Amino acid sequence: MPRSKTDPATGMPAPATSARGLGRLHLIGGLVGLVCAVVLLVEKIELLKNPDYVPTCSINPILSCGSIMSTPQADAFGIPNPIIGVAGFAALATLGAVLTTGVSLPRWLWLATQAAVTLAVVFIHWLIYQSLYVIGALCPYCMVVWVVTIAVFAYTTVHNLQRLRDRATPRGQRTLAALTEFRGAIVTGWCLVITVLIAIRFWDYWVTLL
Amino acid sequence: MSKSLKLSMAMIVAVLVALVAAVTFSRAGDEATPSDSGNGTSEPLVREDSPRLTSGKEATFVEYLDFECEACGAAHPVMTDLREKYGDDVTFVVRYLPLHGNSMNAALAAEAAREQGEFEAMHDQLFETQGEWSHSESSKAKTFEGYAKDLGLDMEQYRADVKDPAIKKRIEQSTQDAQELGVTGTPTFFLDGEKIEPSTIGDFETKLDAAIED
Repeated sequence: MPRSKTDPATGMPAPATSARGLGRLHLIGGLVGLVCAVVLLVEKIELLKNPDYVPTCSINPILSCGSIMSTPQADAFGIPNPIIGVAGFAALATLGAVLTTGVSLPRWLWLATQAAVTLAVVFIHWLIYQSLYVIGALCPYCMVVWVVTIAVFAYTTVHNLQRLRDRATPRGQRTLAALTEFRGAIVTGWCLVITVLIAIRFWDYWVTLL
Repeated sequence: MSKSLKLSMAMIVAVLVALVAAVTFSRAGDEATPSDSGNGTSEPLVREDSPRLTSGKEATFVEYLDFECEACGAAHPVMTDLREKYGDDVTFVVRYLPLHGNSMNAALAAEAAREQGEFEAMHDQLFETQGEWSHSESSKAKTFEGYAKDLGLDMEQYRADVKDPAIKKRIEQSTQDAQELGVTGTPTFFLDGEKIEPSTIGDFETKLDAAIED
């Protein structure tokens, strides 16, 4: 998308988002998430076959997905979470592939995507909370999924918000321009907050590793 | 480089600096106050009511176990030998982290036996017969009741103790403590308050010898 559009409020060039760029993010994020979800699902099946199986991601007492997979939170909606991941990330990657071709999608599909990524981001934050403060362990593949979901949510939301630009007040437009320009930094900051929470929560353990 | 990217890098650097500073600070704090509570017998690792297999004075060895976990069963003969060899000098403490279907029932059986002074016997019995009762979907409480009978326990008392919420609470407390300690698997060993990961029997002995020397 050309960056020559000017922001009517400030006269500055308005940072815009491109559907193709978002498509690449969806495609890569979807594939990365898909790999994690498939690995988790395979590990879960191994664990069901043999309760003493030690999953590849159980590295130490904190980084341990075996214990996490055995918790009720691992089947939040009555089915194993990785199944949701496999379906969701496959859909995301497909959508991303379609977007990279540059076709324009119908409004309903954008709304559905927004709804899906919003649900996803709420769900992973519930999982983050459970992982840190209820279960007290981290699952490495899940953390990759957290990052992908946060990035996809932020970039998709900012992209969809662009539609409101013409209808927004000047102040709204400035906010939107800032959100758009700094969306990368927002994702970084978001992940750093979680990193700090993890550091604090398991501090006693991390310092023993040094 | 875009402003957003610069801001991202700045935030990453700031967090890294803060973490390094926090680590340095907390280590400096550790040195100032030797927070090692002496013998590694402090809560939440060892509680007043945690079962003890021996009561030596030189060191404290804690095993987080699950009677149904195969690795714990495999470690059992080793642990028995260590107990025999070091029991006079070292306190061997048992904590529970029930992770399987009948782990809780087994822990309750051990605790109920303990009420009648037969903890060690039930503990050994549960591990020795693990292959007969583990990996079952259904409750093995009846099997454990059989063991209690074989040990000559007062069965009325045993049945009451197995159902006693206060006894169950001990096991749940142990599980909670495990979370706090970052114990997520069994068996997990602590020697004088420090987690150890011995890979051979010799390793165990070296570490125990060193702890007794201290």
